[in-house]
Amino acid sequence: MNPSRSRLRTFRIFARPFSHQFQGFLFVLPCILLLVLVLGFPVATAVVNSFAPIWSEVKKFTLENYIKLLNDKLFWNSLKVTFIFVISTVLLHLGVGFIVALALNAEIKAKRFFRLIAILPWTVPDVICGLIWRFMYNPTLGIINAILMSAGVTTRYIEWLASPKLVLPSIIFADVWRGYPFVMIILLAGLQAIPREQYEAARVDGATTLQELIYITIPNLMRVILIALALDTIWQFRRFGLIYNMTLGGPGHTSEILSLYVYKHYFKYFNFEYASGMAVVMAVIMLIISYPYIRMIARKA
Amino acid sequence: MSLKLRKGMIFILLLTSFLLVATIVLPGGKKPEVVEIVFSDWHLTEPHWEKALKEAFVIFEKENPNIKIKLDPISYGEKETKYTTEIEAGVGPDVFHLHAYSIKSFMEKGYLYDMTPFVKAEGPGFTDAWYAQTIELMKKEGRYYAIPGDFMSMVLYYNKNLYREAGLDPAKPPKTWDEFLEYAKKLTRDRDGDGKIDTWGFGTIGAISPGFELRFTPILFSHDGSYLSEDNKCSALNTPEAIEAMKFFNDMVTVHKVIPPGVTAQDPGTVRTQMANEQIAMLLGSGWTPPIVDTNNPDLKALEVLEAAPVPVKAGIRPKLTTTAWLSAWMISPNTKHPEEAWEVVKFVTSKRMEEKWFKDARVLSSRKDVSGEYDELLRDKFAKIIAAELEHAKFVPQLKEWPQIIEAINTAAQEAFTGAKSPGQALGDAHDQINEILSVYRASGEKCPSF
Amino acid sequence: MKKRSPYRLIPYLILVFVCLYNLIPFVWMFSTSIKTDKEAYKIPPTLFPQQPTLESYNQIIIWTSFPRYFMNSTIISLGTASLSTFIGSLAGYGFSRFNFRGRTTLIGIILATQMLPGVLLVGPYFKMLVKIGLYNTYPGLILAFTSITLPFSTWMLKGFIDTVPEELDQAAKVDGCSTLGTYFRIILPVITPGMVATMIFAFLLAWGDLLWVLVLTSGESMATVTLGLSRLVTQFRIIWPQLMAGSVIATLPPLILYMLLQNYLVKGLTAGAVKV
Repeated sequence: MNPSRSRLRTFRIFARPFSHQFQGFLFVLPCILLLVLVLGFPVATAVVNSFAPIWSEVKKFTLENYIKLLNDKLFWNSLKVTFIFVISTVLLHLGVGFIVALALNAEIKAKRFFRLIAILPWTVPDVICGLIWRFMYNPTLGIINAILMSAGVTTRYIEWLASPKLVLPSIIFADVWRGYPFVMIILLAGLQAIPREQYEAARVDGATTLQELIYITIPNLMRVILIALALDTIWQFRRFGLIYNMTLGGPGHTSEILSLYVYKHYFKYFNFEYASGMAVVMAVIMLIISYPYIRMIARKA
Repeated sequence: MSLKLRKGMIFILLLTSFLLVATIVLPGGKKPEVVEIVFSDWHLTEPHWEKALKEAFVIFEKENPNIKIKLDPISYGEKETKYTTEIEAGVGPDVFHLHAYSIKSFMEKGYLYDMTPFVKAEGPGFTDAWYAQTIELMKKEGRYYAIPGDFMSMVLYYNKNLYREAGLDPAKPPKTWDEFLEYAKKLTRDRDGDGKIDTWGFGTIGAISPGFELRFTPILFSHDGSYLSEDNKCSALNTPEAIEAMKFFNDMVTVHKVIPPGVTAQDPGTVRTQMANEQIAMLLGSGWTPPIVDTNNPDLKALEVLEAAPVPVKAGIRPKLTTTAWLSAWMISPNTKHPEEAWEVVKFVTSKRMEEKWFKDARVLSSRKDVSGEYDELLRDKFAKIIAAELEHAKFVPQLKEWPQIIEAINTAAQEAFTGAKSPGQALGDAHDQINEILSVYRASGEKCPSF
Repeated sequence: MKKRSPYRLIPYLILVFVCLYNLIPFVWMFSTSIKTDKEAYKIPPTLFPQQPTLESYNQIIIWTSFPRYFMNSTIISLGTASLSTFIGSLAGYGFSRFNFRGRTTLIGIILATQMLPGVLLVGPYFKMLVKIGLYNTYPGLILAFTSITLPFSTWMLKGFIDTVPEELDQAAKVDGCSTLGTYFRIILPVITPGMVATMIFAFLLAWGDLLWVLVLTSGESMATVTLGLSRLVTQFRIIWPQLMAGSVIATLPPLILYMLLQNYLVKGLTAGAVKV
């Protein structure tokens, strides 16, 4: 260790003036620096814009965007649709991911093969996913109806994306396809970390599979589940490409989530300032929801 | 080896690497007199258009040796996003192509270069070459911001084989909407005898799509209805004509069921696929329709089997302007560093001989009177001649920067009516209120619009 | 006594469902990619093409700039993955082992950057890039994607580092290692699996993005796979066979990456996720 020892000594001379805690800050600094440099100006622009009048050259401070969105029926509708979408997809991602993770964790053959299949949807970009599912859902041209009809399950052309009742479930079904693999992987990892001894002890005590699930698996996984929930919720709020390519918010406004509504006002109607206002509101809501998670991560292990 | 030799080698190594880096980092060695013009167009993503444009630019570069064209393809759906972001940031393609739908917004936001000096320099009568209503759309307060390109009216297309099968005479397309409905009902039938209806009389757009505007507007105009009041300050959806048009449109889906199921998910591409598979007998389209249908299903021999006819009108009235038209235009970025050269490109792509080429290669009609009115190959084409004849009956939708938001309100209202979420009257009424709200910026406080 | 219960089969049943659910869209994707143009638009649709052809793949690979898009996507995604993982590990170390003032606030800020939709951020970010001349370059895009993946990377890697017992740190200090040295010699080797997991995630995010690459690049030289695919949605129709061929090819790098690093992935997430 001779040459490296001398190098280490140089480092130490360098590091000595800094307190231990400050060094920690230095480690975090590149991350903060990058985020501020890259996103600082855009975030500031968005916030400043939200306080400017729509479409006017003169930038004066005004709350008109916020007042407008409070009165905007379509804004509240998009919030409602967003909540339905986010809550359903996050819960389903978790549910399906959990069940599949359990299956993959069991004593089965060809584990690698199944794990590969399970991860496949994750590799498809949002945009392509939306296009594929849209085509599959097409009443007369799509494969889903074709399969259902030739299997005799139905005789009508089911209007998956065209009917207000079916559109959200159809979109959610497609999004679960896209999104559950990631959650499943996290849960699978968590499952594999549970010490075998706990299960063996339970079996000795005569516990059933269900009891094992409730008293051993889930408590051990609690932290993992909460992490997955937190991340997924934030991401689902921002989900955009899928619905944009499937229905563009239709029919009517039944699938118009907030991110889509903001996009329309920004890039279709050029109401930059109004879109900024809505996005700021969206960000504040997300911050409030994720506050407990921030506290939890900040806690040291 | 000796120290001197070593030093020499190091020096040469350093020099070479410096030169290498310099050639990579410094701008490529172009002759200073050659100007590069970035040309962006969604047509570059379409095979026959791409070929036509590339051939055209070979000619252009030969005639203008000091200008080099750099092609910048963009997808149709993403072009506004890209152009707005680029122009806001101070860059942007030198020459680009837009649909009339976006021109007003771009104009109002200052995203278009003021071409008036160039237009004036071409001499008086330069703009007379184009149809007057198309030039009007390019102007704001008397100044020119774009030059019109493709101009095609919406017409009715029908499959004459399906007509014959249903006992209709292909030489007698419907002239009124009542006739149209009769025909559509006869054409909606079970063709293969399995007890299920598998072919419908009419196909149309119900999805949220720019194509919706082009299919609903002819129905509205031919019922003598309008979208907005004369002064563009209020919605005119509360007029009996508009209500009737919307009800007719809606009844086709909900009452007469002459349109395939799932209309609110049908975009223009889906409708053309339906036509290609003989799932529908009629649709509203324009110059692009027959080639696409043909590509979708060459076995159909669409170019022979399809026929074009003017859009039907409401029985008993004779409105002058019964249909609408597709219009695209060429413009220059306000941030361009080479406006003169960009103007040469714009002039070139909208010149008579190029417009004739666009028809030959891509079957698009031109906004130039000396092409759509005189080019004999165009006038002999069975589809183009009808489209050209209807140009004088074509009226544009209101030109406002809020138009995208307004038409989307109507688009979603149609969807709500189609799916039965609201009655047509209710849906239209809500759209009416929404549009009046959007237009409130144009009204003085105290000025109110009639309610639904 | 080992009971051969019928419950043994339940996992297989679930996995059959998984296969069907996951694979049907892929089967359809693949089958459309080998259809002729004409067959792709046929009503009723066929699941298995009657006249399979590799023409679309031919078109995509040979006649378009697809190979170029591929290279660009790979470079940008790998760059994002590496940068994001490296900086994330540094930050994770800092948050895990040190308790400096403003720690919670900083974690909050890092997360808060995720809250605004990309729609609002691309425009101003693009303006910035143009000003400093990084428009239409790899670094411009890599920085953008890194800013999106960094919060997750930091979060996950902090978790992994949390699981490394602090005794190891002490031992290293006793041996004369500085903080930086501890990071390089002790922490990094132990959390390599976690780094791999983070890299895959960041790679996938950069690989599948459309909005940022649309805005931040221009022309054919810098376009990515997703951008190239989006151009197959033309004004008049979606060129399905080619779009599906391109999509099939586009799933290959993430798949290969995943296959190569599968083992690390599961091990990695184990340590990180449980203890965070």
